[in-house]
Parts: sequence; structure tokens; C-alpha cells
Amino acid sequence: MTFRVDRRQFLMGSTALLAAGAFSPVLAQDSSLRLLFWGSQARADRTYGVTDLYTKAGGPAIEGEFLAWNDYWPKLATQTAGGNAPDVIQMDYRYIVEYANRVAIAPMDDFVGSALELADFDADQLEGGKVDGKLYGISLGANSVALMINTADFEKAGIPVPGPTTTYADLPAMAEAFKAAGIEKKVIADGSGSEPMFENWLRQRGKALYTADGKLAWEAADATEWFTMWADFRAKGVCVSAEDQALDTGPLETTMLTLGKAAVIPSNSNQLVAFQAINQDKLTISNFPRIAADAPGGHYRKPSMFFSIGGTAANKEEAAKLINFFVTSKEASLVLGVERGIPCSAGVREALAPTLDEQSQTALNFVANLGDLLGKLPPSPPAKAGEIDASLFRTLSQEVAFGARTPEDAGAALFTGANDILSRAA
Amino acid sequence: MTARSMSTSTVSSQRAVNNAWWSRAWTNNAPGYLFLLPWLIGFLGLTIGPIISSFYLSFTNFDLLTPPRWIGADNYIRMFTNDPKFVASIRVTLFFVVFSVPLKLAFALGVALLLNRGMRGLPLYRALFYLPSLLGASVAIAILWRQLFAGDGLVNQVLANFGIEGPSWISNPRYSLWTLIILSIWQFGSPMIIFLAGLRQIPQDMYEAASLDGASKSRMFWKITLPLLTPVVFFNAIIQTIEAFKSFTPAFIISGGTGNPINSTLFYTLYLFQEAFGYFRMGYASALAWFLLLLVAAFTAFSFLTSKYWVHYDE
Amino acid sequence: MTSEAPRLTVVTGSDASTAWRKRTFSVISHALLIAASILMLYPLLWLLSASFRPENEIFNATSLWPSSWSLDAYFRGWNGLRVSFSVFFLNSFVIAILCVVGNLLACSLAAFAFARVPFRGRKFWFAMMLMTLMLPGQVTLIPQYVLFRSLGWIDTILPLVAPKFLAVDGFFIFLMVQFFRGIPRELDEAAMMDGCSWWRIYWKIMLPLSVPVLATAAVFTFIWTWDDFFAPLIYLNEMKQYTVMLGLRTFTDSTGESDFGGLFAMSVLSLVPIFVFFLLFQRLLIEGIATTGMKR
Repeated sequence: MTFRVDRRQFLMGSTALLAAGAFSPVLAQDSSLRLLFWGSQARADRTYGVTDLYTKAGGPAIEGEFLAWNDYWPKLATQTAGGNAPDVIQMDYRYIVEYANRVAIAPMDDFVGSALELADFDADQLEGGKVDGKLYGISLGANSVALMINTADFEKAGIPVPGPTTTYADLPAMAEAFKAAGIEKKVIADGSGSEPMFENWLRQRGKALYTADGKLAWEAADATEWFTMWADFRAKGVCVSAEDQALDTGPLETTMLTLGKAAVIPSNSNQLVAFQAINQDKLTISNFPRIAADAPGGHYRKPSMFFSIGGTAANKEEAAKLINFFVTSKEASLVLGVERGIPCSAGVREALAPTLDEQSQTALNFVANLGDLLGKLPPSPPAKAGEIDASLFRTLSQEVAFGARTPEDAGAALFTGANDILSRAA
Repeated sequence: MTARSMSTSTVSSQRAVNNAWWSRAWTNNAPGYLFLLPWLIGFLGLTIGPIISSFYLSFTNFDLLTPPRWIGADNYIRMFTNDPKFVASIRVTLFFVVFSVPLKLAFALGVALLLNRGMRGLPLYRALFYLPSLLGASVAIAILWRQLFAGDGLVNQVLANFGIEGPSWISNPRYSLWTLIILSIWQFGSPMIIFLAGLRQIPQDMYEAASLDGASKSRMFWKITLPLLTPVVFFNAIIQTIEAFKSFTPAFIISGGTGNPINSTLFYTLYLFQEAFGYFRMGYASALAWFLLLLVAAFTAFSFLTSKYWVHYDE
Repeated sequence: MTSEAPRLTVVTGSDASTAWRKRTFSVISHALLIAASILMLYPLLWLLSASFRPENEIFNATSLWPSSWSLDAYFRGWNGLRVSFSVFFLNSFVIAILCVVGNLLACSLAAFAFARVPFRGRKFWFAMMLMTLMLPGQVTLIPQYVLFRSLGWIDTILPLVAPKFLAVDGFFIFLMVQFFRGIPRELDEAAMMDGCSWWRIYWKIMLPLSVPVLATAAVFTFIWTWDDFFAPLIYLNEMKQYTVMLGLRTFTDSTGESDFGGLFAMSVLSLVPIFVFFLLFQRLLIEGIATTGMKR
């Protein structure tokens, strides 16, 4: 069977091809930027609102794509491995070191001062996006760790919600008040497996999670004391039981607060709005407990997420300009709100503050007014930090909770296990 | 020389050509390969490349963001000597396979037999039993399972009526795997449908002839139904076992991808996924995958070899 | 002269007691079925209930009955994303139908080869085919992505559909092989003696007798393609191309705000087409045996 093309078809076809070829350089110049971010519809609406503003103001078209957190990382990794990485990538502090070390995202120092006008950008937020001294990500918002609190329970128990002076030692008394008021919930979730809480606790003691050169900044004895404290709370019924805590697999709807098992959980300041949407009772936020009334703060303002430029992006300067628009434009901030965190540019914050609703105001005030709770920004964690947290820390905390290990054992195991993971070659 | 002898010699030389090995091979094998052609193209073009790639990757360090780096058998050495999570995941997966597959098949066959009797409301029941399998990887399943099996879930509320105080099945390391086994069994719709199709292929006149001979229902089941169903039973057993070894989604959505509590739901492919996409160790994940392949292939080969003792084909 | 007396069927027990036994059995089995159906239905009922109730009640509520009913979640979910769900439904439908056609054609051809046509290397290729079932997909993902990228198929539905036309789904080949082997060879042999080619045997004998398994393959292909999110996740970039399952996953964000009402509403709606497809095809599953009144 022969495939026959008559002469006219051939001529038309080849003309069309040539024409397309002639036009494509024009198309290529007008090429759009690809933006990839995680989040849900709520965030997508805001993000697309900003990209629309940007295009209307004369920028190139933006092709946005968004995914759920769990799907985001496999897809980004696959696209990068396949040579198809996007131009602007939303990045998380957990992965930024890996991506930066592999040059899957590009350093942005050259753009500071030109495409990136970061004059009134918070210095600590800028630092947070640096890996090995080079800038790899622009913070999209600051947030801080915070306790997420169900105010209705505290009202019922007749005690004030946790505040700036609350210490860990105050928790048992709260548990008593709860019991007296007939509340079945525990006061607080089991925080023994929460890395941010552990870090905060360490910082109050003058230590930290990791040193600047990626080693552990604590001892086995610290870990043992941590696990013992929580074992104590568990035994006294101050925090939730092992079985209940194990229901928390990560998403907001599985946390002890939403499941009605505890009145207080460790969380982040920018999640207040999201939590309130799925909880009927009124929520508020407060700082993590102090270890003693006069302990220094362990908090710090950390970047909630970054925008980075793809390592293989064709036009890095255009990408930088888009990022600049996101973080420094006042109109953009009105669309974005504090959904990704508190804006890092002082001018933007001022413009935004009056327009926020009550809960967003609460979050903003909290982050802005940490006062003596605020400590220095820690160095960026080593690449293996995520693995130590997910694979070792949480498992050990569960083992202690279920009675499969003693706190002493767990403390030692955490120390040696973490060192093992850190020293293992990539 | 006569014309006939000339034509004979032409005929014999023709026959010689026809009997040449390559000509015979072509005539004998061409039909088979022609039917197989689409699959062959797919296999050689789309499948074999990535498979060989993944085998190569298992001997490398591949972090997805930079090109792979050859490290020899280090991945395999680490797997067998220095990886407690590997051992845990093998244990969890084997337990899951051993318990979920027979139970699931038993349910599927039992319900298929029940539904095959042509009772009233049959199409509705059939669709209802298939419904859970339709829900697939929905987030809703994770939420539902928690509602059923958490400490204050429905199951415990029912048990409380009998005075039994149940643990939090889904978040207790001792029982969490069982909730996943139950989830797998609950989605027995697929093997059930296949059993139904197999049952339907058994000719009715065999049953008629047998009942004319005075056979009881039970005898008919053991002597007619079951033997003629063995090809389908074999298929379901092999497929369900392979899928159970590769099971990923239930553990992923219910444990949130963590395999917790205390790695009690760390299925093998979940661990593989963590290594590949969570910790940027695609090379190690490839080694894990090939070990699984060997394990499953050994099991399947064994099944095929022993199948001649109990599977009846109509040939 | 021998007279062939008709064989008498000896039935134990009187007619009345058999009828009674039949009825009790029927009642018990119906009761069991109803109880089991509730078990099967409960999740769907929960989904339905969650799609009608207010957002902050979904996870804290104790009963199945919503405190207030609203269709809000359905409207929000349908049009919430910039691309409406009607596009997603169309995409899913097109992809699923194409996959069904591809699978039925290609897998039956391959299965026929494995089950009936003798050729050298048959066992070897069969083993290779089975091997493709055993390797976890996560590790062939990247090499396949690279392969499809070099073919220029990324961001099209080709990586999802074209492989089906090349019989990549070993599951269905294996399934059909088992069914084909259950069909008596005498039919083939008779046909061959009449001068039929293999193709005619395939087309005129094997396929018509295999309607149950073909219907099964069609149903499974449709449902699994519809429910698949991982392959569309990796290969489809533009939102206009998304399938329903992919669209559903954008409703939840484990780190921030989610729209659970919308998620559940759309989940309920996404079940409808596959349920309908299933109902349509299960008739074929059953009616297909009309032709199996074969003489043995």
C-alpha cells in the first residue's frame, strides 16, 4: 500500500511548515514563564490573581500549575530529571538545600538590586533563603511556630488560654482544670515527635538543632530529657495518648485539634485561617511554652516558603522580575493576603495591615510582636535533616509513646541514628 | 528430456526450497508473531527500555537532579546488611500478602457463587459489591477508615455494645496492618467480577446433565464448578498476590505516606517511594524494586510449575 | 428388544420441605447481602453527607445526617478552579474510552497468540510479559518520562493512551489467556479443517465466545483509567488537560486551606460515570453466555 501525496498537498503542506517556522521565533520571544506551586484552590485563586495583574502590567504570560503538597515533590523531581523544570518554582526549606546543591535552582545574587528590589526586605528573611552564602530563594512570607488553641475549651475550663508567660510546668495544672470542668479532651497534643517543638525547646536552653556546618548541636542527654518530659505528660494525662497521636499523619484534618482530642497543638502562625475553616470552635494562636519563666525565646521568624528560579530556566531575569512583583508590589499583596505568611517587605506590610480580617490580623500581630521570644535565625539545616525528622525522630517518639522503648534508650538512639544519617555519603 | 521430467525437477527444487529451515520457520511462526506484533512493539519500544534503565540505575547513585553515578553493588549490599527499614518493610509486606490474598479470594469467590444463582436484585447487589473498588485512591477512604477504626470509631462503638473495649485499631502498631488488610478485602470487587465471568463461562448443560444424573448441589460444585473454574482461580491468585506485593495506595493514603505508626504500615513499595522521591535516592529505590521483582518472579514461577497439578484447561 | 426406560431423578425429601429449605436459604442470603451492602454503602453515604453539610462540620460531626443542607459545595467545586469540571470530565472520558478500545484490540490479539497459536519462543515471551507485571512502577517512571519526552509526547494524552494500543497492560493479556484456554480446542480444529486461517478463528470464533472476558476487560480498563491519577499527574501539565482525578487532588492541601466540601461533592459526581459504565457492561458480562450452549 503506497501513501500518495499529490503535488498540491505537498506544496501546501511544506508552505505551512515553512510559515510556522518563520513565525515561531516571534512566538518564542513572547514565550511565557512557567510557574509551579503547591497549595489548593484558595491559594491558586490568589496566585493567579497576581499573575493576571502582572501580565496586565506588561509582563509576559504566566502558565501556572499547582498541585497538592504530596504530589508536588514527585512531579517537580520528575520534571527536573526529565529536563523539563519550570521557570519559577515554589520551594520549601526542607528541600531548598538539596535543590541548591544540585543547581536545580539558580543563585539569584546577581539580580539583587536590579530585577529584585529588596531594599525594605527583612534581613532575616533574606538570610533564610541563602544556602552556603548564596541566595537561592526569596521568602514569600514569614511565619513562626505557634500553638494553635481552641479557645472554647479554655473558656469552659475557666482558665486563660496559654500566653507569653506559659511554661511547660503550667501544663499539668491546666489538665487538672480540664478534668474539673469535665472536659474529656487532653490539654495538648503529644509534641515529642514535633521537630519544631524540639528545636524551640533546645534553643531556649541555649542549644540548637544543627550547627552551621551541619552537625548536631545537642547531646543524647538532651533528647532523653525531652522524651522523658513527654512520657511524664503522657502518664499524667496532660497530653494525648500514643494511639491518639498516631492518628496524626500530617494533614490538618488529622491533627489532634481537628479530631477533638486536644485543645492545643504545635503548629505554624500562617495556618490559623486554614484550621479555623475546618473547626467550629473559635481558635487563636500563642507562642510555644517556655521552659522557665525567664527563659529566652526560642522562636524565630522563618520563611514559610520561597520562590526560586529553575536551574534550566531560559530567561532567569524575567523570572526574577516576576518574583519581585510578588513580594514587593502592594497590589499583589492585597490579593495574596497573609495566606503564605506575613509579607517580608515593610512597606507591603504597612499597606496590607488595615485590610486584613480578624484572624489574619491575629497572625500578623503575633509574628510582628514576638518581643523577647524572638531569637536569632538558625543556620539552614543540612540536607539530611528531613530524613532524620521523618524517618528517625518521629518513629522513635512513637516507640517511646507505645512503650516499646525507654526514653533513655530513645535519646541515645536518636543521637547515634542522626549522626549515622548525617555521615552517610549522599 | 521430456517436459515432465523438467517439471518434476522444478517441482522437487521448489519443494526443496519450501522445506528449507527458514521457510518452514517462517510459515510455522509467522502467524503467532503477527498476532503478537502490537505487544512486541510495545514491549521492545516502550517497556524494555525503562526496565533495563531501572536495572542500570540500581547500580548507581541517582538523586534525580544530577546524572547517575556508578557505585557497583553498594545499594544491594546496604539493602541486605544495613537497612532495618528494609527488613521491616519485607515483614510488613509478607504479612499483608499471606493474610489479605486468601481472604480476599475467598470472599470474592463466595460472593460470586452467591450472586451467580440468579436471585432477585442481582444486578444491584453486584454493583453494590463493586462499589468499594470504585473508590480507588480517594482521600475519602483515609478519612472513612479513620472514622471506622479509630479509638472512638464506629467499630469500637459497636464492640462497646458487647462490652468489649477496643484499641484504636488504625493507630496502634499492633493492629494497624489489619485495618489495611480489611481495606484490601473490602475492595474485593475486581476478583469477584472475574470469578463471575468465569462462572458464567461454564456451560449450563453440564449442570443440567449432572442433576439429571442425581448429583447434589455440593457434588456439582466440587466436581464441575471448581475444576472448570481453576484457570480463573489461578489467574486471580497470581494477580492478587503480585498486586499485594506491589500494594502502595492504601498504605500511602492511610498513613499519609509515613508507614507509621512505628513502620507498621511500611509497605515495600511505600518504602521504595520514600527512598526515590522523599530522600532523592532513586538508585537505591531501583535496587529495592529489582529485589521485589526477583521475589515475585520466584513465587510466580513456582506457581506456574505446580499449576499443572491442579489447574484444568480444556485442552 | 430393549426399551430405554427414562432415567428417573430421585429427589430426597418431599417437595414441600425442599421449597421451605429454598426459601430459608433465600431469606438468609438476602439478609446477609443486605447487611453486607450497608457495609459497602456506608462510605458512599458518608461522602454524600459530607458533600451537603457545612465545611466545619465535616470532621467533627457525630451523625450521618447533616445539620444543614446545601448544594453550595457542588457549585463551588464544579466551577471553583479556573477550568470547569466539565472539561475534566470530558478529558477523563476521552482518555478512558480510547484506553478501552486499545486494550481490547491489542490485548486480545496478544492473548490469542499466547493461548492458541503455536510458535517458537512462546513460553519465553509469555514469561517476559508476566515480568512486566511484577516491577513496581515507581522505578520505571523516570526512564519512561525521559523516553516520552524524547518522543515529544509530554503534555499530551499520548503517554496515557498509546501504550494501551501496544498491549502494555499485561494484566489483561494474562486474563484473556486464561479465558481463551478455557474454550475447547475442538472448535479451532474443526474450523481449521474447514480451511479457516488463524485470523478467521480469532475474529469469528474466539472473540464472540469471549464476550464475558472482553466485557470484564472493558469495565476494568475504564474504571482503572478513570481512577488513575499518577500517570496524568506526571504527564499532563496544563490544567485544561487535567482528568477528573487530577482535578480532585487540587482541592486539598495538607499544609493549608482545603475545600473538603468541594472535594467530596466532586468525588460523588466522579463516581457517576464509572458506575453507569459498570451497569451498562455488566449486562454483557452476563448475557454473553448465551452462546455457550456448546455441545461437548
